Amino acid sequence: MYDTRNEERLEELSERPEIWDCTTCYTCAARCPKGLEPLEVLIGLRSIQIEEGRVQPTVRDALESIFKDGNPWGSPRAKRLDWVKDLEVKILEPEAEETTDVLLFICCTDAYDPRVMKVAQALVKVLDAAGVDFGLIGEDESCCGSEVRRLGEEGLFEMCDEENVELLNSFNVNRIVAISPHCYNTLKKEYHGLKHPVLHYTELVAQLLEDGKLQLKGELPKVVTYHDPCFLGKQNDIYDEPRYIITRIPGVEFREFDRCRERSLCCEGGGGKMWVESESKEERLAEIRVTDAKELGAEVIAVACPFCLLTLEDATKVKGIEEEMRVADILELLAEAL
Amino acid sequence: MNMVVCVKRVPDTAESEVHIDASGKDIEKSRLSFGINECDNYAVEEAIQIKERLGGTVTVISLGGKENDEVIRMALAKGGDEAIRLEDDAFAGGDGFAVAKALAAAIKGLEYDIVFTGALADDDGYAVVPVALAELLGVPHATYVKKVEILEDGKKVKVGRELEGGLLEFLEMDLPCVLGIQTGINEPRYASFKGIKQAAKKEIAIKSAADLGLDPSEVGEAGSWAVLEKFTLPVVGEMAEILEGDPDETAAKLAAILKEKGLV
Repeated sequence: MYDTRNEERLEELSERPEIWDCTTCYTCAARCPKGLEPLEVLIGLRSIQIEEGRVQPTVRDALESIFKDGNPWGSPRAKRLDWVKDLEVKILEPEAEETTDVLLFICCTDAYDPRVMKVAQALVKVLDAAGVDFGLIGEDESCCGSEVRRLGEEGLFEMCDEENVELLNSFNVNRIVAISPHCYNTLKKEYHGLKHPVLHYTELVAQLLEDGKLQLKGELPKVVTYHDPCFLGKQNDIYDEPRYIITRIPGVEFREFDRCRERSLCCEGGGGKMWVESESKEERLAEIRVTDAKELGAEVIAVACPFCLLTLEDATKVKGIEEEMRVADILELLAEAL
Repeated sequence: MNMVVCVKRVPDTAESEVHIDASGKDIEKSRLSFGINECDNYAVEEAIQIKERLGGTVTVISLGGKENDEVIRMALAKGGDEAIRLEDDAFAGGDGFAVAKALAAAIKGLEYDIVFTGALADDDGYAVVPVALAELLGVPHATYVKKVEILEDGKKVKVGRELEGGLLEFLEMDLPCVLGIQTGINEPRYASFKGIKQAAKKEIAIKSAADLGLDPSEVGEAGSWAVLEKFTLPVVGEMAEILEGDPDETAAKLAAILKEKGLV
């Protein structure tokens, strides 16, 4: 038996490389018959290593970049709005008198990654088409800290929590809409004292479609499947909205993965894994996932998370099926169908 | 083994556009983020690793204003014991030699076996400080140090200097000495947020020119041998072609050019 008060034993456990393989997908907790959260033990072990400064250089650089520049991608704040390009968007002023309906919380990955930027751009187009009154924080926007907490950097996460809650509370808005399920989960469930309600974009967009505010004129005559992001599905029970949106796109033939909804297979993008070199020599889950999609006869894997987009798209390249299998965010499919 | 590490706070310009400011003698820094000079980060790690192996103390020294406290605290969080910050209006505008004079004055009063600096600074790239500092302290030095081995119970050190093509030149020298550390000598550890917070409780001793027994005429711009005249941007050459478009397009264009020129 492990003695949780035996620090030597914990130290020894924390040195095992497998603790960095956890994607914090939450499957262990969702299925635990005793309602436990085994992933939290692994996060706790990681924090022992973090406190001693013993982390992979890629993890170190990501955390230092969040501390210095508010994003894990080693980019300056001055480039945070590069993704906006020639789109017209409102930048919110703190303590403004006029209320803006929606504050869009843009994930660092959407802001800085050239591939994922297209998703944020698609979101702006979709909300413009539906006539939604929205605004952005701008260059002062900082990382939500979801991956920080899961890498075991508790202190830095507390900083993200405090600073972001103060910043977000300063805006006169009705609600916050997060583009990434990771930001959504953290803002909604892990922050302290946030006064605005938090939605994932799939919740907002599904409502816009239902209310007839968003009209889809284009066609997407493709077989589309949907990969449930763990932080949206398993961790927040949002399963129906993404499916509702996809099946409203004219021409789409929708097929479910065998492992879908609460049984969905993780893509391995969460839990800080974007910055951790895996010890495991097993086939990556994202590769299994795209192979499953191919067997299903899908032509498009729709996702609703920046990490899923990157890991699954990467897996189609590893498997050499990138020509026949498209990985796209729901927002990209929607923007094309406007 | 008692060690001193000199650290500099520099703007991070690797990912940012750099613009010359109105004075023509500096760059616009308002939109840049700052951090520890890269070589200095490796110097801190080297000192702490030696302390962990052989015992002793690590004293962190930095010249500059209160904003430098963040880089000092990160070094303390990693295992530094004491810290000194040299702050005085008289230090402004100093070249590497003037900076070395201030550092030497602060280090002279300490018991030390090795003084570590970075091999060169990311911002001005002079690589003067370790050499001038050793001269002022009257001790041997080595620059671009990629390997450090303490010999004979701490009386001597064997160092590997990085030369062209990755070649290492090995030297032996007596301690005390000054070592200018090159990047890649080790893998710097992470300073956790809690560690930095705890390090904030450690006192940082502030020393002015007068505290160090230096006359204002000896330091800063007045005490410099080289005075910065102005910055200019390189003239845009006619051979340069800027590729436009998204990454897929620019990569395809670049590949086409390389193929056309027979370079791949």
